[in-house]
Amino acid sequence: MLVVTTGVALLFLVLPIVAVFLRVPLSDLLSALGSSAALDAIRVTAETIAFAMVLILVFGTPAAYWISSRRGAVRDVVVTLVELPLVLPPAVAGIGLLVAFGRAGLLGGTVDALGIDIAFTKVAVILAVTFVASPFFVRTAVAAFEAVDPTLPAAARTLGAGPGRVFFRVMLPLAKGGLGAGAALAFARGLGEFGATIMFAGSLQGVTQTLSLAIYEQFDVDFNVALAISALLIVVSAVVLLSVKLMTRWHSGSGSLILSAPSSRQRN
Amino acid sequence: MRNRFAAVFAIALVAASSLAPSAGAHRQADPLTIYAAASLTEVFSSFDRAQRYNFAGSNALETQIRNGAPADVFASAAPLNTQRLFQARMVEKPVTFTSNRLVLIVPRSNPAGIHSVYDLKRKPVKLVIAGAAVPVGGYTRTVLRKMGLTSVLSKVVSQESDVKAVTGKVALGQADAGFVYATDARPVRTQVSVIRIPAWAQPRIRYEIAVVSRSSHKAAARAWVKKILSPRGQRALRNAGFLPIPKASR
Repeated sequence: MLVVTTGVALLFLVLPIVAVFLRVPLSDLLSALGSSAALDAIRVTAETIAFAMVLILVFGTPAAYWISSRRGAVRDVVVTLVELPLVLPPAVAGIGLLVAFGRAGLLGGTVDALGIDIAFTKVAVILAVTFVASPFFVRTAVAAFEAVDPTLPAAARTLGAGPGRVFFRVMLPLAKGGLGAGAALAFARGLGEFGATIMFAGSLQGVTQTLSLAIYEQFDVDFNVALAISALLIVVSAVVLLSVKLMTRWHSGSGSLILSAPSSRQRN
Repeated sequence: MRNRFAAVFAIALVAASSLAPSAGAHRQADPLTIYAAASLTEVFSSFDRAQRYNFAGSNALETQIRNGAPADVFASAAPLNTQRLFQARMVEKPVTFTSNRLVLIVPRSNPAGIHSVYDLKRKPVKLVIAGAAVPVGGYTRTVLRKMGLTSVLSKVVSQESDVKAVTGKVALGQADAGFVYATDARPVRTQVSVIRIPAWAQPRIRYEIAVVSRSSHKAAARAWVKKILSPRGQRALRNAGFLPIPKASR
């Protein structure tokens, strides 16, 4: 029974992925990847996700460190806020970004006055990707900091290291496996970002049209291009997931990493 | 443990089967599934609440039907999409059932100060249109060509997947201007101002409707198409701002 249900589940999950590669010959997929729509989308996605990842790492790492050092109600509230974009439907993220940063939104006028043009620019794509992908990093990073043996930073402090030195010389090196895994997960989620982007940033080839948006547009323009981009995203996502597995195995010696609340991560 | 797995599996199967349409029973009362151009959203859903609708860009609907979507009727904003499916024998012979005209809409606050279509060329503007494969996107390009304004295409900041997405971006004030059907401006008239496009620059807009070949409710689907072509259906369309069937295509 167990074998059968597992088999059914696996088949169900694998079939759509395999089907993408079987619909047309591989050579057709490769030549479709050379179309201008696909190439532009690759460039736009690479640029926007690179910026988003910088934002996520620069702001997310200290935030995760701070959260990992707290207990109690404040921490619960902060963690909940950070996790919200993780469970919110992307459409809600899109609406939220529009009414916050849109031209007629809460901060729209302020941002305009600063001379920053967000509407329909790459900035909008970066904001959307950062919003939906950052929780994946922060959650994993909190767990990574908490997994560090607390006697190590304590020892560093008794030896006279300041908080900055403890963070950079002790905590960061010890947590880097988990941080890398979190970054990879955020990257994978950001790569697939669709709903918030199309609502908030629009879709224009070469400017705001990321790979996911290009699939959506090419779906009824040139189906092969849509297939080819899908195949590319499958390959990249698989590589990312696999590297997460390797990273966590490498650094902690434990098995695979699953997104779960830090406190429930127990070793037997 | 195994028993519990079996129980969960059985429950899942029962749940899945209850979600599947029950074949045979109540065929008469089954609502039709109507795939219709996004611009028909308001008029179709208020004209006949008893049916199920899927509103989207006609090009997206064409692709869905081509890939076996369970539609009974397809109402397209351009003949191209229905005719392609007709040639592939995936729909019955399409008929023209209404027409429309294009307008330019700007947010009420009009941040870019657009007062005529020609202002699009003279002023910096964030213009939103539909993609070239979407009927309204094709009509938009025709208008710009007729008015000698194709250079304006360089000011397009987003190509949307259907006319409602264009309307929404302008109504929200996110975009400065957008080309939509006159009928799409109506539901958002408190949020946008409408700039007319001269008659000589209007594209020939024809909406076509057809019964989908693999529909299992063909008789009901044909009757529904007749209802749209009937005086009552035509009146509903005209009341929503659609134009009568162009004479040449009767």
